[in-house]
Amino acid sequence: MAWVHRFLNGAYIFRHYPKPSASCPFLGTRFAYYCSSSLQKPEAAPGKTSCQRNSEGDLQGHHQKEVVLDITSPEEKPEVSFDKAIKDEIMDHFRRLKDDIVNHWIGPEGRPLHEVLLEQAKVVWQFRGKEDLDKWVVTSDKIIGGRSEVFLKMGKNNQSALLYGTLSSEAPKDGESGRSGYCAMISRIPRGPFERKRSYDWSQFNTLYLRVRGDGRPWMVNIRGDTDLIQRKNQMYSYFMFTRGGPYWQEVKIPFSKFFFSNQGRIRDAQYPLLLDKISSIGFTLADKVDGPFFLEIDFIGVFTDPAHTEEFAYENSPELNPRLFK
Amino acid sequence: MKPPILIIITSTIILGTMIVLFSSHWLMIWIGFEMNMLAIIPILMKKFNPRATEASTKYFLTQATASMLLMLGIIINLLHSGHWTISMIPNPIASTVITIALAMKLGLSPFHFWVPEVTQGVPLSSGMVLLTWQKIAPLSVLYQISPSINPNLLVAMAATSVLVGGWGGLNQTQLRKILAYSSITHMGWMAAIMVYNPTLMILNLTIYIMMTLGTFMLFMYNLSTTTLSLSHTWNKLPLIASLILALMLSLGGLPPLSGFIPKWMIIQELTKNDMIVMPMFMATTALLNLYFYMRLAYATALTMFPSANNTKMKWQFESMKKMIFLPPLIVASTMLLPLTPMLSIMD
Repeated sequence: MAWVHRFLNGAYIFRHYPKPSASCPFLGTRFAYYCSSSLQKPEAAPGKTSCQRNSEGDLQGHHQKEVVLDITSPEEKPEVSFDKAIKDEIMDHFRRLKDDIVNHWIGPEGRPLHEVLLEQAKVVWQFRGKEDLDKWVVTSDKIIGGRSEVFLKMGKNNQSALLYGTLSSEAPKDGESGRSGYCAMISRIPRGPFERKRSYDWSQFNTLYLRVRGDGRPWMVNIRGDTDLIQRKNQMYSYFMFTRGGPYWQEVKIPFSKFFFSNQGRIRDAQYPLLLDKISSIGFTLADKVDGPFFLEIDFIGVFTDPAHTEEFAYENSPELNPRLFK
Repeated sequence: MKPPILIIITSTIILGTMIVLFSSHWLMIWIGFEMNMLAIIPILMKKFNPRATEASTKYFLTQATASMLLMLGIIINLLHSGHWTISMIPNPIASTVITIALAMKLGLSPFHFWVPEVTQGVPLSSGMVLLTWQKIAPLSVLYQISPSINPNLLVAMAATSVLVGGWGGLNQTQLRKILAYSSITHMGWMAAIMVYNPTLMILNLTIYIMMTLGTFMLFMYNLSTTTLSLSHTWNKLPLIASLILALMLSLGGLPPLSGFIPKWMIIQELTKNDMIVMPMFMATTALLNLYFYMRLAYATALTMFPSANNTKMKWQFESMKKMIFLPPLIVASTMLLPLTPMLSIMD
């Protein structure tokens, strides 16, 4: 409880996340963006979510906002003006460029350096409104032809986000997939002006702090680093998060030294510590081979420095498995 | 890395640079650059992690592109002059292409984008070699062809390098990136004076190498890669904190430290050649560099950052690291100013 108060009330702690990208109704660009990147396809349909809503009614109680995507109901027709949309987009990018230049003068991430250096805890993502949900993408094995479903919506009183759905480990009938059954929620990569990739610098922190409420299922927390050349989708650092399933909130603290390295979905024999100066995204994956509904409620995700944690890296490389590392 | 392999790789790096320094045949110079580049890749990948792999890949791609451009310039020169000897380059296209290729190798703006990324991704010792030894070969070739370089091109690259190095280093908390931007700035100062007085460029390079080696060695002694870890030096090794202060001020070019020598000489030489705006601009943008060096020195030696109690006990443990060259480097990086009149022996 003390940790929660420290996070949410401390002077060095609470920071607004930078503005998300422009939400102009330029459907063409967004549609192309969604189509071009397989991991970025969000999932929902209003019809299906209403069924889910009824089943989750006892949890939530009243009408919730959904993560609405490109699907609009026939009654409301958004006004699409190509010229206005282009102009708005360009103006927005130049405004962000100007903010970037001014923030560069002030300090790292737009804050004075002494504030950044003295910070010992930081809330990176929190869920207080729909704009916070826009920073996340949900995905499941539906992309490869599976039957899992996953949705993301705001929780009760707009104080948390609820990730829910149904996991199905039925393999897709495409002749090549033997296994299936995963659902994931991944944060969008932070973007600067002109869609430049940005990354988080968590090098002065050493532990990840999550306030979650689950249903007893084991989740995996995945962190991806920012890479330009090596395929970003292939490499990530993961650790487990076991939820208790009770009505009480659970504070999960995972030191960054515990994260293990995996490439193309396989845990590698050669392990490397997670380098914290260029973090690109964080994700939660459920793939516990148990079919059925699931939910995970997330209050906030933060990072902090645990002075009692002195471990640098939890795994060591073995000369038998990896002689190359010991040459 | 096993000692025999390390010896072979290190000697190849040294041999590559020596071949560039001692050759008068353009092809041998190109071969020297290639040997150097290929041999330094394993040094950059000393720690096998994906970040080091990415940094080495970026380094390889940029240096290979620069080598291709260099070869193009050499062949154009061969077409027009008919010989392979390094001397005056009569053809302006060949001279421009070779200058651009060498600027890419050095990390001069606008070809500087690889320097912070590569320096950040490699261990401190590899970064030290990258920012000091790897500058010698391209600068030696530029020294030899300096009469035929387009001065406007070089001065433009110098001005942008000084600006980019100062502006880019402003908000860095990672020490290797700070030193990378410092390297870009110093390369800018060297490029600015190269056309007018190449000897001063060598002087600047010598003093820059001594200061950068000293700084890297201090960071390696401390095992610090971020400003925050450097700020805890006061309870580990208080003497190192004061040395970091001296070195940062020297890197910033403040008298009476050694770092002031090249800046003073370069501004004097540029003014003698009827250039007023350029040295004024460079001296002003050097303040940006001085700002982030002072910030590092402030965090390390002039203030005590709040730290947890368990970090306050490190003074009890003696450091077993041996840095034999550190004392002479510190002396050379801070106390050479009175010897400035003697430095005319470099002519």
